[in-house]
Amino acid sequence: MGQVLTAKSLVIKVLLCLAALAVVMGLCTLIGTQKVSLKRVFAGPGSSPGENIDYEILIGIRLPRVLLAALVGAALACSGVVLQAILRNPLADPYILGISSGAGLGVMTAAISGISWSFLGGSPIGFFAFAGAIVTVWLVWYIGHFTGKSQVTSLLLAGVVVNAFFSAIIMFLTSIAKSEQVISTIFWLMGNITGKNLPVLFVSAGCILAGIIVLFTISHRLNVLALGQAEAKGLGVDVARTRIIAFAFAAFITAISVSLSGLIGFVGLIIPHGARLVFGPDHRQLLPLSAIIGAAFLIIADTIARVIVAPAQLPVGVITAIAGGPFFLILLARYSRKVSWLK
Amino acid sequence: MKAIIEVKNLSFSYTSQSAGRLPAQPILKHITFRVIQNRFLTIAGPNGVGKTTLINLLCGQLRAQAGSIIIDNAHIESYSVGKLAQKVAVVRQEFVPIFDFTVAEVVSMGRTPYLGTFGFEGKTDRAVVSEALEATDTAQFALRPLGSLSGGERQRVFIARALAQNTAILLLDEPTSFLDLKHQVGIYDLLKEMQLEKGKTIVAVTHDVNMAAQYADEILLLGADNSYYIGKTKDVFKPEQIEKVFGVRVFTCNIKQESFFLPLGKFAKASTHINSKLSSKQEE
Repeated sequence: MGQVLTAKSLVIKVLLCLAALAVVMGLCTLIGTQKVSLKRVFAGPGSSPGENIDYEILIGIRLPRVLLAALVGAALACSGVVLQAILRNPLADPYILGISSGAGLGVMTAAISGISWSFLGGSPIGFFAFAGAIVTVWLVWYIGHFTGKSQVTSLLLAGVVVNAFFSAIIMFLTSIAKSEQVISTIFWLMGNITGKNLPVLFVSAGCILAGIIVLFTISHRLNVLALGQAEAKGLGVDVARTRIIAFAFAAFITAISVSLSGLIGFVGLIIPHGARLVFGPDHRQLLPLSAIIGAAFLIIADTIARVIVAPAQLPVGVITAIAGGPFFLILLARYSRKVSWLK
Repeated sequence: MKAIIEVKNLSFSYTSQSAGRLPAQPILKHITFRVIQNRFLTIAGPNGVGKTTLINLLCGQLRAQAGSIIIDNAHIESYSVGKLAQKVAVVRQEFVPIFDFTVAEVVSMGRTPYLGTFGFEGKTDRAVVSEALEATDTAQFALRPLGSLSGGERQRVFIARALAQNTAILLLDEPTSFLDLKHQVGIYDLLKEMQLEKGKTIVAVTHDVNMAAQYADEILLLGADNSYYIGKTKDVFKPEQIEKVFGVRVFTCNIKQESFFLPLGKFAKASTHINSKLSSKQEE
């Protein structure tokens, strides 16, 4: 009775969580510095643009922003779940394989070279962040693949080394660049959810949802892989294939979310842990539920970020870090005593 | 009598890449043996002779450079990872998994080779799992996290998982090395039960020659110089053979036909008794 997850119980849980997410989205869309009358919103956009201000604020500005936060939160949480399972390391997060520094370097390059063309209506910053992230992940994978028999450890080491190296280059570029070139980059590095145009949002949403679905299809193999490579193979799991799918799609959805909103820390670390504490470690359940919780968490964090110092706005990364930092320390204290993850 | 595992002329050496800077050295050389269906074979021998390597070869974890392994009438290479996992289950030394999986969840993972795309257990799978839990007497803590159990209980859970895998062959790599006497006996009794009641073919690696002698039908004794002995327990486990292979003096005692071996170190108390007896005999 309830000891093993069934497809039916999972569907019920996912639907319940989705309902809760919808409530959070609705409430957070209503919260803001500008008071909005729902009655006027339902009156429609009006005949000329700008005629119905309430509609413009709610549907034109806040809703896309809430959707963006949901998307990024879901992607980062899923990526965190997958990387923690594959690397068998509870302290892994979506940026552990060099995505953050790679994307940062891409953005820095874009800012300094002064490129101003746009891609799919998006800014060059997003495009460069995505390219930098993907190239770096490939580089880390390549290095990790060739440096040792214990792939997991060498991947982690390669990620750490590449992260450190690229961070140093970012600092070097920051110190030689003019300050007005760097200011936008600094906001980006802190994680910043701002309005995106709708085509970019929809394309990204499609990619991230597809990525999450692919990751869900390997989630039962992630359970076995979390026990170790030999155990997984003994249970009939194609370890190399599962690992490549997991890494590739986790990196892909992370790179997209980084290109949308910069570096938002801690979501990919604390949401998987929180969800695991509540729902247990079964990845078939952990992955979809983490996605939903991550989405809700980032929506709330972003709502706080845009109202707490109104009329100014904080980068959302500041909120997630302030909430996530203490939580991370508690985890560190708890897990480093108990878990032998270098076994 | 059908052989379910046939090993012919098997040789294996770790390549220099995976073994660090050491030159390639054959760890197993020209080994040939077969395991009859529903028999209990124990692989014994000193450290570093390739017992675990042999288990890893038999479950497809490693590939031999020469020779062949035939599992249930087909070459081991002809199986996909998933199909092989339906023939052979492996139990290694017990460990605590990184995430807090419950006992029921870990045992359910034994059904992995049989699951569809989305990986959900069906009715049959759940029935097999609860049967495995009952058979290993682990159903009582099905909902507890694996990490909260004792070492002996955890090892029973891993055996339950192997049962849930529903394979004809059960491979075990030193299943009792961290367990106390009671739990060692418990695990071997459980294995014997699986052999007799469920018709499993069991291949277990152990350091413990006495345990091996008590439970196995046949012994494969691997020596350090790539020598090996295979056969009925009483033919393989002779005092002089054990002294030679393990490089230690043993005291042998017999209970009816059964022989037990006690290793005697230089400073062991019994050692001095035997030495003084020997020397007094020599003086006479």
